[in-house]
Amino acid sequence: MNARFLSRLARQNLRKNARSYGPFLLAAVLTVCMFYIISSLAVDPGLQSMTGATTIQIVIRYGMVVVGLFSVIFLFYTNSFLIKRRKREFGLFNVLGLEKKHLAGVIAFETLYVALVSLGLGLLLGVALDKLLLLTVAKILGVAAPMGFFVSLWVVAVTAALFGGIFLLIFLYSIRQVYVARPVELLQAEHAGEREPKAKWLLALVGAGCLGAGYYIALTTTDVLQAIFLFFVAVVLVIIGTYLLFTAGSVALLKLLKKNKRYYYKTRHFTAVSGMMYRMKQNAVGLANICILSTMVLVMVSGTSCLMLGMESALHERYPYDMNISRSDEATIELSKKAVADAGIVPENETEYSYVTCAAYSVPGGLDVTVDYTLDTESNLADVMVTDLADYNRCTGQDYDLAPGEILLKTARTDYAGDTLELLGRTYTVKERVEPMVKYGNMTANLTESWYIVVADRAELEQINEALSVEKGVAQSAQYQLDGDYKLRRFYGFDVAGHDEETALNARLAIRAAWNKASEDESVDLAGTYECRAWERQDFVSLYGSLFFLGMFLGLLFTMAAILIIYYKQMSEGRDDRERFQIMQKVGMSRLEVKRTIQAQVLIVFFLPLVTAGVHTGFAFPILNRVMTLFNLMSTSFYLWCVLGVFVLFAALYAVVYSLTARTYYRLVSV
Amino acid sequence: MTILEVQNLGKIYTGRFGANQVRALNNVSFALEQGEYVAIMGESGSGKTTLLNLLAAFDRPTSGQVLLEGKDLASLRESELAAFRRDSLGFVFQDFNLLDTFNLRDNIFLPLVLAGVGYVEMAQRLQPIAQKMGITDVLTKYPYEVSGGQKQRAAVARAVITGPKLLLADEPTGALDSKSSDGLMDLFAQLNREGQSILMVTHSTKAASHAGRVIFIKDGELFHQIYRGGATNEQMYQKIADTLTLLATGGDGHER
Repeated sequence: MNARFLSRLARQNLRKNARSYGPFLLAAVLTVCMFYIISSLAVDPGLQSMTGATTIQIVIRYGMVVVGLFSVIFLFYTNSFLIKRRKREFGLFNVLGLEKKHLAGVIAFETLYVALVSLGLGLLLGVALDKLLLLTVAKILGVAAPMGFFVSLWVVAVTAALFGGIFLLIFLYSIRQVYVARPVELLQAEHAGEREPKAKWLLALVGAGCLGAGYYIALTTTDVLQAIFLFFVAVVLVIIGTYLLFTAGSVALLKLLKKNKRYYYKTRHFTAVSGMMYRMKQNAVGLANICILSTMVLVMVSGTSCLMLGMESALHERYPYDMNISRSDEATIELSKKAVADAGIVPENETEYSYVTCAAYSVPGGLDVTVDYTLDTESNLADVMVTDLADYNRCTGQDYDLAPGEILLKTARTDYAGDTLELLGRTYTVKERVEPMVKYGNMTANLTESWYIVVADRAELEQINEALSVEKGVAQSAQYQLDGDYKLRRFYGFDVAGHDEETALNARLAIRAAWNKASEDESVDLAGTYECRAWERQDFVSLYGSLFFLGMFLGLLFTMAAILIIYYKQMSEGRDDRERFQIMQKVGMSRLEVKRTIQAQVLIVFFLPLVTAGVHTGFAFPILNRVMTLFNLMSTSFYLWCVLGVFVLFAALYAVVYSLTARTYYRLVSV
Repeated sequence: MTILEVQNLGKIYTGRFGANQVRALNNVSFALEQGEYVAIMGESGSGKTTLLNLLAAFDRPTSGQVLLEGKDLASLRESELAAFRRDSLGFVFQDFNLLDTFNLRDNIFLPLVLAGVGYVEMAQRLQPIAQKMGITDVLTKYPYEVSGGQKQRAAVARAVITGPKLLLADEPTGALDSKSSDGLMDLFAQLNREGQSILMVTHSTKAASHAGRVIFIKDGELFHQIYRGGATNEQMYQKIADTLTLLATGGDGHER
């Protein structure tokens, strides 16, 4: 039997099985394409030359590893579906006189063809789309993309090696399936009488326990710094719980339903319950996979797009003005103003105020600054900023009056109910809670509660500052010590005309030059910061932009995987179900009832993972929201909208695939 | 009383684009009285299965009509057909057609569940039938756990639990060993004695010898029929065998 014959047979087989091999081929092409693109971006010299690209290339390299690992698992997994379905075909060849080594030859040719086509098309598509993706990245980073195509032979070689390896693995797995089986087994593989699954109550309970524990952690963790670690614990628990509940839990639930004779022996439930039981036995793991993939897509895409969309507002929160200067001496601030004026820049929206900040514990009735605090302690840690009434009224355009001992109060996240507030041994009366506040970016970057306090006059503020410096000692107030006396810090912020980035960057340069010059004169204390929003934006963009890009990229990949797995599930089940529905029609089920039953079953199988993914995401929301604050994202409602938006989009895509699959499935079953 | 009347029934299968017309059934007429037990015999490809499919309204005839209790099956709409099949007909198939996902009890309940009968009534109806079929002990087993004979008796139970006017059987002994076949035929005879009308398509002379009347089909046409009269099963067997010999050798000269 010569190779030419085997290769022709292989081609014929592929053509005959087009309905099942088509999607697999498409998936392989897309996986190759995506791996090529992400690897290419990781080493692209054009990207390296862009500003802010260092961060993005580091992030993309992580993505490359993820995509690579994913490709191995995904292609291997989908192929095992195909082989399972083709066992009968192989058995027939075997009976008709093809020896097993010939079968291995046919499979080798088939795998070779699939490998060549998917690598060839995938690389072509990859090279073509690579440029498009590079332009997208450049757009996200807000810089011009370099011209010309870039094809790295190294990347082509890596891609070819990886996928060559994957296909070799697939080939070995397939021939193993053929070699270990006898022809009779191959012929009957699809008809093996399946036992009714047993209910594994213990596993179901453990699953429920894991899921509950994961949800509990997600809901109750309030400390953001612990949140990151606990988040991973919760993720692992939820994944274990999902697998156990889908496999053991579903069967246990169906058993319960079956025991309830009133419920079970109803036309609508009768076939559905028993059918689902077998279906869950075969498909629970696949459905759990889909569920977890979907959850990942939801979390990743909503998180990264939320960061990206919310970046500008986060930037404005963190850097309220185009230039933000904080000093403990007014002289340098005057110096800075002069430098800006000398550079020909006219400051707008100027704001200037004196303030005191410190860390404290919120305790009943007030704030305690004396307790030693460490970062990992409880969440009643608070950041306090105090300013005086004159600066407050001037900066915010308000017109409040305060008697000595009275204060205005604003808290960022929690409400403080008391009428009085004790701070540094003095008890203040809270005259009013206020909303507008002087803008102070540093506090928004903090993860803890923020307290804003306005005291009656400058003398009071000075006194707090002094008491605080004494209380906290050297560690807290190195800069005050340097000054030799307890000087108040002063904030000076301004915008430039039209928020023009270049002007803002020039202002930054002017101030930096002035400060450097001043530092040569040793008598000037240099404790202070100057922060330019336009300058910081570049860091924001490269971090958020690369996360966003990766989120979208992986989101797309995982969505494709989820859809394909679902498609195969339905197709392979359609064959088994066909026989069952024919019998039911013979004993008196109408076509309409058949159609309804099919729809109900497909609906459940399709939307169970989606709904579960939605529930997972819902429970993950609080902890995710807290993690998001690490990225300066303060608006919970904005994040909520992002999650909902992504969920709706994903569900819509899912519904489209559902209707396509349901139609094909019905055709398969009813013919 | 006549419960089934077949008038000039014909069925032509047409290939794609009108090519290859095959006349599967031609001008077949016969009637079945209430309480009768009729076997239909013929070689492979003689049109037996086509006839059964038309009687069960799985397929529509090209010409002629099937009247069940005077009602023309062709006049039923698709949506009424399912209910008709469920209530008026019982089926027994060669390969049992039991659902693997149900145990025997649930398989037998299937038509009743589809008809919306409550559990208590179903259980009441099942009890005597299961006893008669001798499957009371294996009701909770699954089809792959029991013997072929038990499977077929469960299938008969499923067919008769709705109290059908007519029991249609398609080669019911085809997949059974001789002992199980004999058991099943005794069961059919017993059902018939209790008043059940039965129409059975079969290859097996032995199976047919239990029937009250045997109709022979050849090449889609009704060839001959014999009545039991007072004959015993053995005498009936001999008559059928003679007719089959005639069918294979005589009557049609140009086949030799």
